Amino acid sequence: MPMVLLECDKDIPERQRHIFLKTPEDDVRECLPIANVPTIPGSLSERGCAFCGAKLVIGGVLKDTIQMIHGPVGCAYDTWHTKRYPSDNGHFPLKYVWSTDMKEQHIVFGGEKRLEQSIHEAFDEMPDVKRMIVYTTCPTALIGDDVKAVVKKVMKERPDVDIFTVECPGFSGVSQSKGHHVLNIGWINEKVGTAEKEITSEYTINFIGDYNIQGDTFLLQKYWDRLGIQVISHFTGNGTYDDLRCMHQAKLNVVNCARSAGYIANELKKRHGIPRLDIDTWGFNYMAEGIRKVCAFFGIEERGEELIADEYAKWKPQLDWYKERLLGKKMAIWTGGPRLWHWTKSVEDDMGIEVVAMSSKFGHEEDFEKVVARGREGTYYIDDANELEFFEIIDLVKPDVIFTGPRVGELVKKLHIPYINGHAYHNGPYMGFEGFVNMARDIYNATHNPLAYLAGQDIRDPTPLVMPERLREVA
Amino acid sequence: MSMCEIATAKVPEIKVAPKERGGIINPMYDCQPTGGQYAGIGIKDSIPLVHGGQGCSMFVRLLFAQHFKENFDIASTSLHEDSAVFGGHKRIEEGVMVLAKRYPDLRVIPIITTCSTEVIGDDVEGTIKKCYQALADELPGRELHLIPIHAPSFKGSHVTGYDEAMKAIVKTMAKKGEPTGKLNVFTGWINPGDLKELKHYFAEMGVAANFLMDIEDFDSPMLPNKAIETHGRTTVEDLQNTANAAASLALGRYEGASAAELLKKEHEVPSHVMNAPYGIGNTDAMLRRLSEITGKEIPESLVRERGIALDALADLAHMFFANKKVAIYGHPDLVLGLAQFCMEVELEPALLLLGDDKGGRYKKDPRIAELKKHVHWDMEIIHNADLWELEKRVKEGVEYDLILGHSKGRYIAIDAGIPMVRVGFPTFDRAGLYRKPTIGYRGAIELAENIANTLFAHMEYTHDREWILNTW
Amino acid sequence: MNNVLDDQLDELYGYIEERCLWQFFSRSWDRQENIDGVLDQAARLLNGKGPARETPMDNLFYADAKILVADLRERFPWLEDAGEEEIRQLCDGLKGRLVDVVITRSKNRELNHHLY
Repeated sequence: MPMVLLECDKDIPERQRHIFLKTPEDDVRECLPIANVPTIPGSLSERGCAFCGAKLVIGGVLKDTIQMIHGPVGCAYDTWHTKRYPSDNGHFPLKYVWSTDMKEQHIVFGGEKRLEQSIHEAFDEMPDVKRMIVYTTCPTALIGDDVKAVVKKVMKERPDVDIFTVECPGFSGVSQSKGHHVLNIGWINEKVGTAEKEITSEYTINFIGDYNIQGDTFLLQKYWDRLGIQVISHFTGNGTYDDLRCMHQAKLNVVNCARSAGYIANELKKRHGIPRLDIDTWGFNYMAEGIRKVCAFFGIEERGEELIADEYAKWKPQLDWYKERLLGKKMAIWTGGPRLWHWTKSVEDDMGIEVVAMSSKFGHEEDFEKVVARGREGTYYIDDANELEFFEIIDLVKPDVIFTGPRVGELVKKLHIPYINGHAYHNGPYMGFEGFVNMARDIYNATHNPLAYLAGQDIRDPTPLVMPERLREVA
Repeated sequence: MSMCEIATAKVPEIKVAPKERGGIINPMYDCQPTGGQYAGIGIKDSIPLVHGGQGCSMFVRLLFAQHFKENFDIASTSLHEDSAVFGGHKRIEEGVMVLAKRYPDLRVIPIITTCSTEVIGDDVEGTIKKCYQALADELPGRELHLIPIHAPSFKGSHVTGYDEAMKAIVKTMAKKGEPTGKLNVFTGWINPGDLKELKHYFAEMGVAANFLMDIEDFDSPMLPNKAIETHGRTTVEDLQNTANAAASLALGRYEGASAAELLKKEHEVPSHVMNAPYGIGNTDAMLRRLSEITGKEIPESLVRERGIALDALADLAHMFFANKKVAIYGHPDLVLGLAQFCMEVELEPALLLLGDDKGGRYKKDPRIAELKKHVHWDMEIIHNADLWELEKRVKEGVEYDLILGHSKGRYIAIDAGIPMVRVGFPTFDRAGLYRKPTIGYRGAIELAENIANTLFAHMEYTHDREWILNTW
Repeated sequence: MNNVLDDQLDELYGYIEERCLWQFFSRSWDRQENIDGVLDQAARLLNGKGPARETPMDNLFYADAKILVADLRERFPWLEDAGEEEIRQLCDGLKGRLVDVVITRSKNRELNHHLY
């Protein structure tokens, strides 16, 4: 049976519909893991909430925008210091978060006045900042505060500010994914087309679904600059609020993360006739392909080929050095969703690594169609995996390295398996050519760690440990 | 400042006031469910079940992982939209049963509410009765303790959430039986390094203690057999026996003291609520009280330990620390304790930020009264504070020589170039602090030397009289 | 359809399945539009004809098809010998196969939602 009921799931047999083992015998299309459905209570899922999908993943990346979270303080506290998205203006998105700090009296009597006060305070305290996103949370949604009315009032009183409202309490949807959706659709409905920017190139794109993790956006921007392509907006890595209002001006939408931002690309196609081009930005082969496609769209193929040739000359030898040493290493990817399909083939092709197990927190069935099409046979594909499943899968596939979050990383450390931060990276950026060398280097360093040998040694064992000679080499 | 100036200086102004803004820019504290979860993971064979949206546990697990560099098991009822409409009690029932079946060694499930489920008004106590019935039907003979912990996020902070949770846990679990002769020790929100230090004192004094919670294994090993031992050590029996202790000692006024008071009220266990043992004086007071309660003498070994600490502090205080203005933020018990410690080593606490809306109780805090008596410089104590209170002052030109606080304020120090020592919770941007004590004599040494070394490094990077250290 | 053509289709389809994101767009109509658009452009390119470049969507499909065709030619040298009719058959076959797999038989329950 390609759909697998793990031993740890015998008491929650519905989990079988979420776990797929790809085998050569079965027609894989008959067995897509079910995804984007409610989590089983008490299962120790890895999922977050819809609010964080909007604030932490997308809106909070903007480098010129106050993130006003209308709710108790925790929703702000918890979505701060949990990401690595720098910005070129002194890392504004990393430094600040705002909360209306709702208290019991606001629950009882309504929180609209408190929201209004907090918005004014925020603009008063930082007079240079003129843009804001207001988010609702579980309690403000439950008590029914009319957030949009408050925002309208403030914008009337302060004509130089612009405020966007995201109504996406944590309990809506089943995971972060709902928050992505609400923000995407709200933005196209309310903000796209409300500003115009100067066009400086005949080649214009929106770069959608990249959040400048450890400088991904900065790295890719070098490519666009060299190609003479004007990026109208970055959705949302190192991005600005007003750039995103100008998304309608681009000739092409280039999409990296189709899960968190495919919606807005679709709507831009439907409403503004801007084509959507999906590319992969992690991996040499993929990145080159993406650049070729963008250049073919604009008819500037020569520029693309020059760029690719230069980048290959510079970085490919380094990648190959790592590939030689990573050949046959087994990797697990337990992240949000799209990185499963972005990475499974690129680490295989470019680094010789076999991805043996993948779990997605908030992917939809579309993501599983992609990853099952690209992934290996003998690999497990899991929707919304929980902790006991992780243990069982580790026993089954014995990965050499796991790409996941820091908390699960701490867990698997005890099992002597190194982790690499699959969300925020270890030492990125990981996108682009240079980035993929960074990723290869991090995998090499993780899988060639003397501590792994020392950890396996019991000092009561009379046979002392023999460390492999030259475990680590000079790259 | 010369002696003449001191003689003519104005009476120092000591302000105790809430912040003036209503909203928050950069919070100092998380919300109540976080405190509930921290209490819940201190129990052995326990997985807290957070009744709310998934973010309410997922991010808190991440926060603990960031601070302790460990994973902790915490479950969620995964509240979705239908529960917001029809009530979420079924999610609790299902969550309890799933946990009970899949984790056969599990003995305790603290059930922690959040803002959403408090607003919806789910009847947790009533649901727990149903859960017990369901467990009896489906898993007869299975012992499982379900503890209701109400932690609405729109009240207090993670500190009050912890206090409430400790009280709820003791209230539910304490069971009258044979006297144990032990002391209940409500440690407050401390680190594994602190707990080891406490255990050391009790061992030296020859006093048996029931530590609530015993979090020593929140710093857990990588073992050859790959066992995972990251969990609380306080057992069901330990919790039940809180009713049978000789006395309770609460080390801190806001982090577990309510539980000590409850045991006094409900089980006649004498309660001793004390200052958290930060600094020499507070540690002295703790040991004296221990001696008074138990009749045991303070041993020579502790006199020597104390002496070692004083010996270390004396090298630093009047040469390096004197006249330095300090801004401190974090848990109230910690901030006030650190301020007391600063006074002992000639550092001058100038700004204390307390981050919750419990202004009223701080007015009665004996530590603040004590500070008022001794401080001879202007000092501000801001409650209901956020980190913008500090950043704003720095931006407006108020000068601080040192910041003591947790990692969430790191950018204030980084951007303004102010030396900062990480202390409190969370301290994710410095390695291994959870392993070191901040309380007790050794904690005082750690703190002082960490402060000194931070100041030294700052002197070197900024070429500010770095030559002083050419000979020391 | 003969066996040779079937085998050739398997090869081409295997490559597209693993490689091309355009087949997995969000909704049935997007997928249909992409399959038709890219493969029509691919057929023109494989037959040595100039691509259609009238509209933005033409340019998009050209961008995808150009890279696809280059890759297919590199991997499957037999394509060089294929005549116009054979190319047409292959592209129609691919369309049929793709529609069957990623639309008709797809288990993705979101494919036909009327909104994005």
